[in-house]
Parts: sequence; structure tokens; C-alpha cells
Amino acid sequence: MKTRTRRQEWTAGFDPLGARLADGDPLAPRDLVERHYRELYRYAFSVLREERAAEDAVQDAFERAFSALGRYSEERLRAMKLRPWMYRITLNVARNRLRQRREVPVEEPFVVGGGASDEDREAVMDVLAGLGKLPERQRVAVTLRYLQDMPYAEISGVTGWPEGTAKTLVRRGLMRLRMSMVEEPKGGGQG
Amino acid sequence: MNERFTERDGELATASLREMAARIAPAREQAVLVDGVMAAVTDSFFSVESPLGAVYVTAGPYGVRYLTPAASEEEFARRYRERFGRFVSPAEGDEAADLAERIEAAFAGERVEVPLDLSRATPFQRRVLEVVRGIRRGEVRPYIWVAGEAGSPGASRAVGNVMANNPVPLLVPCHRVVRNDGRTGSFAFGAGEKVRLLRAEGVSPEEISGSPYVATPTTGIVCHATCRNAKRIQPHNRRAFRSVRDATDAGYRPCKVCRPVAAA
Repeated sequence: MKTRTRRQEWTAGFDPLGARLADGDPLAPRDLVERHYRELYRYAFSVLREERAAEDAVQDAFERAFSALGRYSEERLRAMKLRPWMYRITLNVARNRLRQRREVPVEEPFVVGGGASDEDREAVMDVLAGLGKLPERQRVAVTLRYLQDMPYAEISGVTGWPEGTAKTLVRRGLMRLRMSMVEEPKGGGQG
Repeated sequence: MNERFTERDGELATASLREMAARIAPAREQAVLVDGVMAAVTDSFFSVESPLGAVYVTAGPYGVRYLTPAASEEEFARRYRERFGRFVSPAEGDEAADLAERIEAAFAGERVEVPLDLSRATPFQRRVLEVVRGIRRGEVRPYIWVAGEAGSPGASRAVGNVMANNPVPLLVPCHRVVRNDGRTGSFAFGAGEKVRLLRAEGVSPEEISGSPYVATPTTGIVCHATCRNAKRIQPHNRRAFRSVRDATDAGYRPCKVCRPVAAA
């Protein structure tokens, strides 16, 4: 129960971790990394669709984040909404890496999470491939809303789009995604 | 085409997205990945007991980077961030424990190697810190001597600045650097602490103050008062001098071990 209360605190905007970073709590940096690693990895993976690339992107995002946080004033740290801020950095890093990759085409060593079965992997990669075909803003909106389970207010905080725009982008994105799933049924056409 | 998209379609799409989200996880253990991030974004620290009380130490792979007394971990972390723009996290593992033991042994006067990472210092700062590191327990040297040994004769004031910002006090014993007239002078952690540290190392600040050089007619040599050769001079042969110039004017030549230098 306690975890849930804390989560509600920082998703609602007030983030005690900002104050802990400002106060010099030596456990605060690890708490920040542990709290967001998995969700940021999931975002990076959904964009880059390769484990190593996702790990590198998250590492890079944290390095950029801490390099900035290290120079911020205590007042600024206290006032920070760390989650959307971490997302903004990760979105940029993932997008830039995707662009670089398109400029220098590489073979596609798509792999997904350790414990997953082959079927699971295939299913996940199918959906991610569908997401990858969406226009960028729709892809970001749908990913944040459903893969990252982010409320519209926070999506707006991360992307800078008004909430109405975010909702529209999610609706259009879902529509397209559903179309692509209907048009390309899984497992068909091979036999 | 849009008419074909129903609420039901939307639900199907979101359901598969949500289901998939739960399946995306790092292949490697998350703790390993978090450790990798921590190693890059924080400097690890530990605390040891020292002649200045509890001091906090950060160390990188090449050695100790920073050491300072602080009232608490939090105060240390804040000061560290202010100075270096980086966060700290508690050190774990045998390497840190081994380093902590070495540091405490060094504080106790044992001859142990404590690796220092002075890569963040400028070349001049590094030369000065290396020179000061070589000043032995029980001895002191004036700023002017440190400047000369570091290859910048006359840079006494600049040496004073390096001492004031010494990132690794005690390990680089800046408390053993005194004013050119032999008075102990200032210290980042208080002039009184400097006197106390020197006394604990067997130095008598009163003897050096005003007469930092000692010569003996038996050899005709002038030394720093705490040079190991000077300590062997019989009391009745001791000739105290205020400056090296006064001694050389009186016919003495500088010791080759402690190499006292005359002011320009």
C-alpha cells in the first residue's frame, strides 16, 4: 500500500525524490534510476526494437539527466517533475538513435525480453512493427498512453501538446494500428 | 475506411498493446543494468575516521578523488555536487573496503600506498600536489620551497591557492606546508586544526615560527628546521635562521636533502 501512495504522489506532480536529491540523500540517485529504468526501457525498446540498443539509449538518457541534475540549483531540483522530464530526455534520445540508424541501414537483429517464448516474441514484434509504421506523433502518443500507461495530462507534460491534441493523436493512431492488424493477419500466407 | 473502425476495434488494439507492455522487459537482470547506470552517473563514497574526525571519501577506478570532513553524509553529498556537479552513492564491495583500510593505515602513520586520482587537477596543481605528497610526517616545508620544487619558483601565492583547494587533504598533507617565515598559517579546516595536526606528528610550531631554518658549523650546512639532518644537530651547535639568505650570507650552504631555497 505504501508504494502505491508514493507512486500517486509523484505521478500527481509533487515528487519527493527531487527534494531528496536537493538535500543530498545519497540513496536518492539509485532510487530515481530504479524507479524509472523499466518503463524507460520499455519505451526505448518500443522505438528501437532491439535489446542492446534500448539498454544503450536508457543508459544515455540517464547520463544526460544526471549531468544536468548535477548542475541544477537545490530550488530547481525541489520543484522538478522528474518523471515527465526523464521521459522527454528518453524520447529525444530514442528518436535521434532511430534516425541515425535509418541513415546507416543495418540488418535487423530484433530481439525481445529474456523469459519470453518465441510466440510471445513474435506477437510483441508484430505489434511494435505496427506501431513503427505510424506517423511519429501518433506513435509517441499511442505508446505513452497504452504501453506506458500515462494519463493524458502527463502526456501533455512530456510532449508539450495540449491534452486534446494528445487524445486526437491517440485515437487516430489506434485506428491505423487496428487497420494494419486486420490487413496483415498473423501467421497467414506462409503455408 | 474510417467507418469500419469501431469502439470494439479500439478495445482490441489497446488490449493487445497493454498485454504486450507487460512482456517488454530488459533481457539482462535489471540490477545489473541499474548498477551500470549508477557507475556512470554517480561517484561512490565511504567514510573513514581521520585525525580531523569523520571524513568522507570518493574514489574512482584510479584512486581517491576527494576527501573532506563533513557533519553528515547529506552535507557531504551537497558539497560534492556543488563542487563537482555530480551525485554520490554509497560504495559497495571489497575494493572500497580495501581502500578505506589503506587510508586509515596511512592516517595512522603506516607506509601504505593510497592511489590518488588527480586527473581533475590542472598540470600545475598536480605538480604541486605531488610535491606536497612527498613531505614526510614530522616535517614541514614553506610555500616558496613547494613552488620551486614544482618548477614554478616564486609562485608561493599560487601554491597557497592549491593548498586551500586541495581535493585530498591529509593524503596530500597540505597541513605540512607553512608560511615562508615559519609560522603555520591558515588551513582549510581551521588554523588551530593545523597546529594540532602538526603537534600530533611531532612538529613543534613554536620552534619553527620565526626561525624556519637551522644550520650547524660542524658541517657548514643550512636545512629546513624539520629536515631529518637538522634533527641530528646537537643543541649547542644549532644556529637558527630566519631565511636561507641570512644563512648563506653567514657562510652556510643549502642542504642537498631538503634543498632550502632563498626568497627571490
